Amino acid sequence: MIRRISAIAGAVFLDAVKRRVVYAVLFFAAVLAFGAPSLPSSGLGVDPNLYREVALALTFVAAIVLALALSANRVPAEVERRTVYNVVGKPVARWEYLVGTWVGICAVMAAVIAAFTAVDQLVGLVRYGDLMWRLWEGAGAIWLETGVLTAFAVAVSAAAGGVVVTVATLTFAFIAHSRQPFLAVVHWFPAWLFPSLDVFNIIDPVAYGTGVAPAYFLAAALVFIGWCAALLVIGSTVFAGRDL
Amino acid sequence: MSDTASADRAAITIQGARKTYVSFPDRRFVAVDDVSITVPAGAIHGLLGPNGAGKTTTLKMLLGLVRPDRGAFTVLGRDARRRSSRAELGFLPEQPYFPPLLTARQAMRLYGRLAGLPEGEIPQRSAELLERVGLHGRDHTALSAFSRGMLQRLGIAQALIGKPRVVVFDEPAGGLDPVGQRDVRNLMLELRDEGVTILLSSHQLSEAEAVCDRVSIISRGRVAAEGSIDSLLNAQGRTSVRAAGLPGGLPPQVATLTDDAAQAGGIWVFSIPDDGVRGVVDALDDAGAKVLALTPKRESLEDYFTRMLQAPEPEGEVAR
Repeated sequence: MIRRISAIAGAVFLDAVKRRVVYAVLFFAAVLAFGAPSLPSSGLGVDPNLYREVALALTFVAAIVLALALSANRVPAEVERRTVYNVVGKPVARWEYLVGTWVGICAVMAAVIAAFTAVDQLVGLVRYGDLMWRLWEGAGAIWLETGVLTAFAVAVSAAAGGVVVTVATLTFAFIAHSRQPFLAVVHWFPAWLFPSLDVFNIIDPVAYGTGVAPAYFLAAALVFIGWCAALLVIGSTVFAGRDL
Repeated sequence: MSDTASADRAAITIQGARKTYVSFPDRRFVAVDDVSITVPAGAIHGLLGPNGAGKTTTLKMLLGLVRPDRGAFTVLGRDARRRSSRAELGFLPEQPYFPPLLTARQAMRLYGRLAGLPEGEIPQRSAELLERVGLHGRDHTALSAFSRGMLQRLGIAQALIGKPRVVVFDEPAGGLDPVGQRDVRNLMLELRDEGVTILLSSHQLSEAEAVCDRVSIISRGRVAAEGSIDSLLNAQGRTSVRAAGLPGGLPPQVATLTDDAAQAGGIWVFSIPDDGVRGVVDALDDAGAKVLALTPKRESLEDYFTRMLQAPEPEGEVAR
């Protein structure tokens, strides 16, 4: 099982890292990171704290864009082009194919977010003389959230096309970051059932505070595992029942 | 042979397969209706039929790609619904496609691992197969640079990577030039000699005639005929005649016996009833003609298909 999943993940990784969209997003994120210290936020320029916030926000947006670009149409395209036949025609369970695809995209995202963060650090060093190691905490949280959104996209793509997946994933991300306003409107809805990704939003403590404790990260990792497991189980169940 | 013994020696069994596709809002189309096929171990069995007959859907049900409405499917005695049934099965889909940014070697490594081949064997097995299908030296070429024919060859290689005992080929000659088609035919015969069972779905009737031990002809989702190609296509009671040296046309006593005479380059080809052969040969001798060949008349597969398609559809059956 592990071998089959890792084989699929490896192939997805090799295929995805050769896509131009990865390098295009990386390039523009780097340009923005280099430009961030010049933003006219005060007469003296952007201070390091604000730079950290902007850098993490840019990394988050770029990661979301890239995760959607890599995951929204991957399964639908493989089904349409019948690439998937060469995989599930072998002794491979459909859930292994979906999980392998998700792992492969998460691996690409890890590499890309690490590259973003390294660029952010470089700019921090050049502009402020500070390597800003705490950015890696924010990068880790962004990767965890990207993993959840990728799992959502992969799960939806088990039954829908790329456009539907993209819209659904963005809607999910928006709702899961808008807990309070939504619950204020739909106050009858059980709060514990409302999807929330706020646990992954640690930009403020990273940018303006002292970061987060390891225990917090462990809790965030557990939330990540729970979300991803639930979404991939749903996606796999749907995918197992469909004709290819 | 008893049914049990027959089943024991069968590499593939399909019993009572049926598949209905439903599209919004309530349109139903029966793609496959009560198809049963048994393929003995070590044989090449052809699945023939016109477009939309239900061949590919039947293969997809066997491979678990499509969920049947009903039917039982086994591969080497294992229930085809189980993943383990595909452990010794290779599959070439119609018009295979691959992740375009992988190289041939990377793709073969992926499929080797998925097929359960030990890690250490994959490089050698990949190299052997790429050479066998005519892709030697293309290991490091990105698949985006492969032609249609090269992708087809890679598809065949990936189907064989796991050393399968049963192979399902869906249009294996698609996209190949005549030399490639010949290579594929030879490959199938070699595989059969190695004991591999092949289920071949094909539009290439000449290909099926050249390699298949038996064929099942599917029409409108049902098995319309099954047997050896010779037994299906030989027209009972008629003999085909080839003759030369008839500048004045067929002798009258011959012309009255045939309604399909054709002449090209001085060679006449026509068919006559079997019981008229002696008289026709004598008449041709008397006319100074030379009899080049007398063979049992054989219908072409194209004609056979055409006849099947023109036959009235059974009431209330299949397409709706």
